[in-house]
This record gives sequence, structure tokens and C-alpha cells, in this order.
Amino acid sequence: MNPPVTGQSPEVTEPSAWAGSGFGSLYDEHSRAIYYLALRFFGDEQKAEDATHDVFLKAFQRMDQFRHESSVRTWLYRIAINHCQNLAQSWHSRNVHATADDSIWENSAAKTDSPLRVLETKELGQRIQTTLDSLPEEYRLLLLLVADEELSYEEIAALVGQSADAVRGKLHRARKAFAARFGTNA
Amino acid sequence: MKHQTKLSQEQQHAEAHQTRQQAGQEFAGADELLRFDAAQTMVPPRIARRLEESTGKSGPPPRRSWWKNLLGQ
Repeated sequence: MNPPVTGQSPEVTEPSAWAGSGFGSLYDEHSRAIYYLALRFFGDEQKAEDATHDVFLKAFQRMDQFRHESSVRTWLYRIAINHCQNLAQSWHSRNVHATADDSIWENSAAKTDSPLRVLETKELGQRIQTTLDSLPEEYRLLLLLVADEELSYEEIAALVGQSADAVRGKLHRARKAFAARFGTNA
Repeated sequence: MKHQTKLSQEQQHAEAHQTRQQAGQEFAGADELLRFDAAQTMVPPRIARRLEESTGKSGPPPRRSWWKNLLGQ
């Protein structure tokens, strides 16, 4: 028997857990939604990357706890919201302030886009981030969730622990606040 | 040549500025704007690679027992 080869990368030696569980397709389907939520929640690409990794790792480890009472997307959002809020709280309590890396805006555009398109996307992304950062966390979260067309008001309400009517009312105010501040950030 | 490059840059900036000005009007509201922004966002491929490594280390996901599935617990 040959001795195990040392120094080989884990993806070569142990791909089965990821590939064999069908988790890869779940990641493909939902990673953009979770990454986008984390990206605009933190305004920091590295934090968004770490959070997305941690959320999907938690989901992978807790797959047996998923009860099919909600959609997979909602379940992932629940893990993501808890994770992001916990991280934000812990960073905040340590008085560490996020400084958005400039590369965040470059990565928001597709690699094949023209320089003008990249510039437009970058500037629009900055403006959206600045606007979101100026809103209360509750409004920011609601706007990011309602932007996902796969979520209903009832699902959003369950995610934030409020009634659907309360969510509708707050969203109305959040949209107005966003529009007013987006206009001033031009 | 330099003049052309400068002109082209100025044109690009002017067009980008116009886009910024129009952005609020082009989109029906915050929802549509954020949907567009989300669609433009690329997930770094590094995350999938990191996850593949992490899940390899943590082993296969736990299986739900058949009786829990049956009872919906």
C-alpha cells in the first residue's frame, strides 16, 4: 500500500463531502444572494467573503437541522442575518470601524465589462453603499431582503421577527429614506 | 494622440456622470436599484474553494435519522 501523499491540497484529497452531498449546487444557487447581503451589510469585501464562507459552512454542518418548514433560501438568510449581526456587534463593541477596500467596487462589475461600464458600476455601487450606510441597520436589512424577489413579505417578516404589516410600514419609510439620501449622494 | 486619450477620458467621465445623474430616475425605486446592483455583483470564486477545503476537514454533513424524517421532527 502506498503511503498517503503529504502536502496535497485538501480539494484534491477530500472532495467528497462537498461534491457528494449536493451542497455544491445549493451553493451555486444561493451564494450570490448571501454574498450580496453580507457585502452591502458590511460594505467590506473581505468581511463579506468571510461571512459567506462561514454561513455556508454552518449550513453544511447543520443540514440535519433543516426542517423544510421554510425554503432553503430563507433558512440560509436566517443563518446569514444572525451571523452578520453577531459579527457587527462584536466588531462594534471593540470599536473597530470598517474601511471599505477600493477593490470592492471593482469586483462588483463583471470581468468582461468595458472600462466605462466598470466605472459606472463602481460609482453606482459606491453611491448605493454610502446611501445604505447612512440608514439605520433595520432599514438597510429590510431593503436588502425585499430586493430579493424570491422572498415574500411573510418570509421577510419571519426573518426579522416582525409582523408582515409592520414590515410593510417600515419598508415604506425605508424606501423613502433611501430615495431621499440616494438623491443627495449624486 | 494624448489629446485623444484625454478627450476620451473626459467623455467617459461625462457619460459616467450622466449615468449617475440618471441612476435615480432609471430605476423605479430602491428595490429595483438594489436588484440591479445584486445582479452585477460577482461572488469571489475563492469562497467556493475555501468551502471545499473547510467541508473536507469537517467531514460529511450529518444525516437526519429516518424516524425524524417520518415524524417531521
